[in-house]
Amino acid sequence: MVIYKFMKWFREFGWRHLIGLIFAIISLYPILYVVTNSFADFANLSNSKLIPDGFTTKHYQSLTGDPLIPYYKWLFNTYKIAGIAGFLNVLLGTFAAFAFARLKFKGRRVGLITLVLVQMFPSFLAFVAIYLLFFQIGDVAPFIGLGTHIGLIFVYLGGSIGFNSWLIKGFMDTIPTSLDEAAKVDGATDFQIFYKIIAPLSRPIIVVLFVITFIGIYSDYILAAIFLKDANLYTVALGINIVFMDDFSNEWGSIAAASVIAATPIAVLFLFFQKQITGGLTAGSIKG
Amino acid sequence: MQYSTILRYLFLGVFNGFVVYLVPLTIAFESWFLLIITIIITLLVNLTYATNRLKPLKWITPGMIFLLSFVVFPAAYSFYVSFTNWSTGHILTKQQAIERLEDLTYTKDDQRGVEFDLYVLQDQNLEYYFLADLDNENLLFGKAVQENEFNAIDFANHEPSFKNSDGEILIPDNLYLLSGREQIANSSQLQELSLLVNKNTRIQLYNISVFGASSGRLLSAQQKYSYIAETDTLYDNVNDSACTLGNRGNFICNGQTIDPGWRINVGTENYQRIADDERFRGPLRIVTLWTFQFAFFAVFLTFFVGLLLSVSLNKDKLKFQKIYRSIYILPYAIPGFISILVFKGLLNPDFGLVNDWFGPLYELFNIEPINWFRTKESSRAAVLLVNTWLGFPYMFLITTGALQSIPNELLEAAKVDGATPRQSFWRITFPLLLVAISPLLIGAFAFNFNNFTLIFLLTSGGPPIVGADVAVGYTDILISFTYDLAIAGGRGYQFGLAASVTTIIFLIVLFISAVSFRYSKRLERVYGNL
Repeated sequence: MVIYKFMKWFREFGWRHLIGLIFAIISLYPILYVVTNSFADFANLSNSKLIPDGFTTKHYQSLTGDPLIPYYKWLFNTYKIAGIAGFLNVLLGTFAAFAFARLKFKGRRVGLITLVLVQMFPSFLAFVAIYLLFFQIGDVAPFIGLGTHIGLIFVYLGGSIGFNSWLIKGFMDTIPTSLDEAAKVDGATDFQIFYKIIAPLSRPIIVVLFVITFIGIYSDYILAAIFLKDANLYTVALGINIVFMDDFSNEWGSIAAASVIAATPIAVLFLFFQKQITGGLTAGSIKG
Repeated sequence: MQYSTILRYLFLGVFNGFVVYLVPLTIAFESWFLLIITIIITLLVNLTYATNRLKPLKWITPGMIFLLSFVVFPAAYSFYVSFTNWSTGHILTKQQAIERLEDLTYTKDDQRGVEFDLYVLQDQNLEYYFLADLDNENLLFGKAVQENEFNAIDFANHEPSFKNSDGEILIPDNLYLLSGREQIANSSQLQELSLLVNKNTRIQLYNISVFGASSGRLLSAQQKYSYIAETDTLYDNVNDSACTLGNRGNFICNGQTIDPGWRINVGTENYQRIADDERFRGPLRIVTLWTFQFAFFAVFLTFFVGLLLSVSLNKDKLKFQKIYRSIYILPYAIPGFISILVFKGLLNPDFGLVNDWFGPLYELFNIEPINWFRTKESSRAAVLLVNTWLGFPYMFLITTGALQSIPNELLEAAKVDGATPRQSFWRITFPLLLVAISPLLIGAFAFNFNNFTLIFLLTSGGPPIVGADVAVGYTDILISFTYDLAIAGGRGYQFGLAASVTTIIFLIVLFISAVSFRYSKRLERVYGNL
């Protein structure tokens, strides 16, 4: 009888828990492994294990003080680049979206379609041309050329501005036009309508797109790799890969600590905005 | 005048001033493409902000500038570059290459061939100085430097104060005169050093003498090549012969191609190489095929796992649903590059976590532990395995969303009509789900088609394809292959060739987008009412 009951339970619920549990372990194990390893007292990868023998913060300490491994500089660079590029991206995107959503002009439809078409090609596809272009810009205006953060920020700006404009425009369309018509009657200019009404009401989508853009840039490798050659200017992705991975068995502890520090804020940010981000994702964009 | 108008003209003034500064520079560097971009953007900005008439553009132009400059123009430029031989040895423009060639020098013994006394001195920091006693008008003194420091150092000075009226050499207190023996002990170092007299002439230690002063000798550098503008050729001053103009963007002197050359238009040569050169075409075929396979299996596997989980968990009264869901999102919340690098460690054959997991299996079947990154099959499997871990949460999220949006009445109606759960899943749930998320599946395919970060960080494309003409491996996808070709393959920069492969990628992405567009249009028509 007990067996029969168990079989019934298993047929209805049990197998679901079995599958659910297996994949929960698969999902969690590598993450836990890295977190425990970052505090574990071991020499290298070969004697690392999930439950460490001793507790130590030496791997975290190894990330400071060595001028050859300016880890926190990389972290700062990454936040700076992703922050500035993300901010300008949604700012300029919001401007453009406002025109497409609220102003009537010839070529509006064509412009919108062009935006989407252009953004179907990720900007890094043409990285050869971007490299050569900035190689030449470096001759003419060295402060924007290869090896500078400004140049990299410019490229990231172009990378998703079309898509962001499109999504923000879609959101603005849902704001009732009666609001700005009323304001117009009261003599408000376009800029005032934008600044006082439309932009504040669009804040939810703007914040989410900023987060998505920020995370995307934070995780980018290829464009940062063609731009940055000086170890002091690296982003986190470049720094960890180029400096640590050379000898990753012996550097395993540092890699684990560096990964935990680099991943935690992004993971928290992602989980915080999870619902909205997946909403945006199902609208077509994909996180890098 | 309004406040905003003043601000606008101020902005335009600064902007145009900057352009006026840039344009001559782009011309000087012969960056024609840059010049075109600058002109187009300047026109756009002035058109937009000089008058008050084009209101919508005022909002759009700032974003459009970046979209044009760094997305649209590079795509066009990439196409242009694919018709050039832009590569190592052909990086410069012709003008730049000629300047570079004219700067080259060769050294020959000076005509005078005179030997003279040379004193070797050292200061407190053990830096070497030379004092050369050429004649009474030329008592030259200065720091002795190696060849790589020539540009950083000043020329030698005439220092009459180092000699008294009787013609004896006086050494200042802060310097130490090396004896002949000391010079011999350091001779290998000393022979590398030179005292610079002027741009083309330097003094080197010639003969160390144990008795009395050592001797030095003048060496002069001569221009190696001169460019003759009338005939557009180079003259080789070393061999006293004229060079000829090669047809690949270079000069040929005495039958040898002279480096550096310059970039020229080579027509469809790069594309012909893709089509005809078996040593290039073969690997490219492997890479292209694998790119499609990878993108397909990446989507298939993540979709399979995601769907399996969402179907399993999509059940009323199932406990712990929330916990499962929040755990599955974790792999997705972590930046991809971190997970990939961590997995690179975990897949390590000797002491990685993954082989620990598979340990019982290895023992059961009595096989050697897999060295994941050594063979074609295992490294491809590793790439897909890691990608599945990275990507299944996304598929889980979107399939869960789609499952929940399927109207319950449909399934109940099927049940009433006597459909088994399996039938109603395959006949109703699955087709509807596919319709709902197929645009996203195509999007995921396009994303993985160009998933550079995964391939580059996990395997760097390896293991290498033996016999290929270029640096390429079995897990390389088109975009990582292009990256190796252009920048990182260790066989020089091959921008022209890489750009032509980029064109192929563009065409494929265009094709995928077109399919996706038509497909979603058709679905809208068919299922528009759902």
